[in-house]
Amino acid sequence: MRVVIMGCGRVGGGLATQLVAEGHDVTVIDNDAFAFERLPSEFGGRRLVGSGTDDRTLLEAGISEADCFIALATGDNRNYLASQKAKVIYGVRTVVTRVKDPLRSELFGRLGLRTFSPTKIGVELAHQALFEAGA
Amino acid sequence: MYIIIVGGGNVGYGLALELQRMPDHEVTIVELDGGRANQLREELGEMVVHGDGSEVAFLERVGAARADLLIACTADDGANLVAAQVAKHWFHMARTIARVNDPRNETLFLRLGVDSIVSAAGAVLAQIEATLPEHTMIPLMVLEGSGLHLVDLHVQAGSSVAGRALRDLEFPPQVLISAIVGPEGARVPDGSTVLRVGDEVIAIIPSAADAAVRAMIAGPTEGQ
Repeated sequence: MRVVIMGCGRVGGGLATQLVAEGHDVTVIDNDAFAFERLPSEFGGRRLVGSGTDDRTLLEAGISEADCFIALATGDNRNYLASQKAKVIYGVRTVVTRVKDPLRSELFGRLGLRTFSPTKIGVELAHQALFEAGA
Repeated sequence: MYIIIVGGGNVGYGLALELQRMPDHEVTIVELDGGRANQLREELGEMVVHGDGSEVAFLERVGAARADLLIACTADDGANLVAAQVAKHWFHMARTIARVNDPRNETLFLRLGVDSIVSAAGAVLAQIEATLPEHTMIPLMVLEGSGLHLVDLHVQAGSSVAGRALRDLEFPPQVLISAIVGPEGARVPDGSTVLRVGDEVIAIIPSAADAAVRAMIAGPTEGQ
């Protein structure tokens, strides 16, 4: 699959590395070239410095031919803007959006995006770990 | 009417000053930056609140559920789009207006159901185009949610429509010719109305028909 990932933080970088290892064609976008230090030196995907909400960057990343777009940048709003652009303007079939705010995550899901909230998941996992450890 | 303005920059501040003069409106300005919020509060008072106007929980606290209108006018298109979407789809606000900073985002905002967009770049371009004698089409107003807009067409010399009656012309579907403005003033057209070079035609057309309509109105050099 042709995958475009917005944001090369711990999650974006980790996912990019895993997808390349699985044989996918991956392009990672980040505003900051330093973020690519997180990728292994032998990383076989493409690194692209730019803003994932910017049409020029998205086109350069090959958004028009991409099968999947995953928004993992810091801000919820930027992730939403880029994701809707990928879906509505460039017709990407699978769009996944990370949204920290659980309420916004729910709303964006209702508006047609596949979202997940690390906050919600984190609370659940912490709660679960607490009672597992408990006794 | 209760109005929430998201973004206390120059646009939001100017808007708040205008709205404050109208006695029937209650206005809240939401500003993300604490320093800027304090500064605005000194001048405008309690109507200014410090917070994230794209966050559901925060908007709830400033009474979004009873607001009639949200205007998102920050310098960040992502924040503007999300504030407008939250207002419309979470709080079911009757009307949303969003500022578009990057003109390439205009289509997306409209396709996602923002009622009105305000684009500085778009407004300036329309003004520039209006001053050129050979302009063919000036967008005047977007009609919300319908995919239609109101335009001003300028019949060019050599245009295929010049000298012909409306009933003999084949405009794309859904094109509504509303008024013709010529040297003798405005007239309401009927099928027998003949378009002349230099006429201004006020029409409602689907955005999708822009190129086709432009080509009909343009002269031979421009209508590729």
